[in-house]
Amino acid sequence: MTTTLQRLLHRQEGRLGLAMAVLLIALAFTAPGFFTAVNLASVVRGMGVLTIVSMGMLMVILTGGIDVSVGSMVAVISVVAARWGNTGAPAALVAPGALLLGAGLGFFNAVLIADLRIPPIVATLGTMGLYRGLLLQWTQGEWVTRLPHWLAAAGRPGRFLMDGSVWAAILVTALTAWFLRRTQAGRSLFRFGGSPIAALRVGIAERRVVYLTYSLMGVLAALGALFYAAQLGSVQGNAALGYELTVIAAVVLGGANIMGGEGSVTGTLLGVVLLGSIQSALILLHVPTFWQGVVTGAIVLLGVAAGAVRRRRPINLRALSGKGSAA
Amino acid sequence: MSTTLSSQPAGTSTPPSPGRGRAGLAGIHWQPWIVAALLLIFCFYTGWRTGDFWTVINWQLLVQPLAEAGLVSLGMTLVIATGGIDLSVGSIIGLSAVIAAVAAQHGAGGVTVDLIAAGAGLVAGAGNGLLIGWLGLSPILVTLGTMILYAGLAVGISSGSSFAGFPAGALWWGDATWLGIPAPFLLFIAAVLAVAILLQRSLWGRYLLSFGSNPVAARFSGMPVKRSLFAVYAVQGAFCGLAAMLMIGRLASARGDMGQSLMLTSIAAVVLGGTPIVGGMASVAGTVAGVAAFYVVQNGLTLVGVPAFLESALVAVLLLVAVAAGNLLKREP
Repeated sequence: MTTTLQRLLHRQEGRLGLAMAVLLIALAFTAPGFFTAVNLASVVRGMGVLTIVSMGMLMVILTGGIDVSVGSMVAVISVVAARWGNTGAPAALVAPGALLLGAGLGFFNAVLIADLRIPPIVATLGTMGLYRGLLLQWTQGEWVTRLPHWLAAAGRPGRFLMDGSVWAAILVTALTAWFLRRTQAGRSLFRFGGSPIAALRVGIAERRVVYLTYSLMGVLAALGALFYAAQLGSVQGNAALGYELTVIAAVVLGGANIMGGEGSVTGTLLGVVLLGSIQSALILLHVPTFWQGVVTGAIVLLGVAAGAVRRRRPINLRALSGKGSAA
Repeated sequence: MSTTLSSQPAGTSTPPSPGRGRAGLAGIHWQPWIVAALLLIFCFYTGWRTGDFWTVINWQLLVQPLAEAGLVSLGMTLVIATGGIDLSVGSIIGLSAVIAAVAAQHGAGGVTVDLIAAGAGLVAGAGNGLLIGWLGLSPILVTLGTMILYAGLAVGISSGSSFAGFPAGALWWGDATWLGIPAPFLLFIAAVLAVAILLQRSLWGRYLLSFGSNPVAARFSGMPVKRSLFAVYAVQGAFCGLAAMLMIGRLASARGDMGQSLMLTSIAAVVLGGTPIVGGMASVAGTVAGVAAFYVVQNGLTLVGVPAFLESALVAVLLLVAVAAGNLLKREP
């Protein structure tokens, strides 16, 4: 019995699952409104976009990189899609176009990182300001309050009270899991993040990994952006400001190692669910809006501490050998 | 080793090892001068385009926000020298300002308000230092958490509203000048000298650079890694508190979300100055050039009539171009 528990607690996924269970039981007693179909459905709908974007961030973090331009990319694509759709262009043109634009923005990040050798955090910090600045110049602070009807429909609750973002999130999660587990390209992300030098020696092309990962991140940010616009019903230049930090928090809470090479789809999904249900729970528990940041911050810190306890020893050994081979 | 690097650059995960004697400055002395030269050209161009640029009042107004960002960037230079990063600086500024405002509401006078702002920053920074130095957690993750936590505290304490009833004494920093030079700028210059001396000449500075260059070796050499790291984040917090104090003086008000933009500006200024994000090396002169570049360029673009939204995009391009150019230059030898 104890060994089962120990094994469960050994992994970040296990701890998160337990934390979720405790939270849900506590909520059952303190916030009866939480377990109504309507509320649960709205909690789940609120996680759709975050899940989609977090899967992209998981892949980026697996390679040992980071992408802080995600919030800007979401804003750019949501505004472009809404404005383009409003000109009367068909969904069959706008939606793929938006995804392609996302891939392009992500690819630009990859070029900065792989070809100009700018560290990921600096490169994406730059494009974060660049994409956002260009968007604001283009919109001049104006809101797009009317969405093309196909886009608005994607954000409306339908079957099982779910909207398009939830179905898309399920699909993206399944595809990411398959990609990371079953394809050679997916496996190479882990190898590359674990040790870039070892990856190079076994013939994994660094440039290709970076191009692929950041372009995928862009595509998923674009997909998330479409549903982001659909759910909000209006978009503007300052949309999704600081969204990248929520996304990174979810992935990290899910046990991904920020230095690369470690992380899982299940963990990321649990991270998203934990962050999402806590936001909803805080509202139901009548925690004043102003204090909700304190709770979220404390949870992220706890998650970070829990993750570090688990990996203290293996990381020490790896850092030693990594430094040795690098020098 | 979770405290090593904030994020690994794709291919260049090995920082060039610093030279023994000169605190590893040999490899990076290029970039500050490139930035300074570009900045000088920009200044002449702007001065030629508009007569408002080379006026005393323009520079007096320009150096005040520059000093605030400069203080934070100096702290960030120390943090990045250790291979860490501090994402919580904006939140610490907001929290310090709000706490100072609460003190002013309860009748605290001028100097007390200043001390409380600086002290609150120090304590918040020490919180980061405890988690990163003593518990050995990853800087990027800890400060991501405290960024949300401190911003939450600031908004919670102030109920999201702004405070404007500071006593006149607390606003001293906004108007005081010496020989026409605004007091905040003098404070910044003093801080630059202090940080430069600490980094180059003190044992602590050596520890920081050694840890940033090779954390494992630093630990096995018996350096007081925990204490040194703790101190870095505490000092960074104190700098944020001082920046909050200057902001209160300049704006005569306090808000929980003020200073949020300084997180990115300070990281970008340090990187622009040639300090590598992976740690082990640091250039205080570079940081000064970097932060000056941001504010002078922004000011010049405004005077020339470039729309405000495009400015931030151009500044981002400046960062990317400077870092890419620095990388290409470094690869030659």
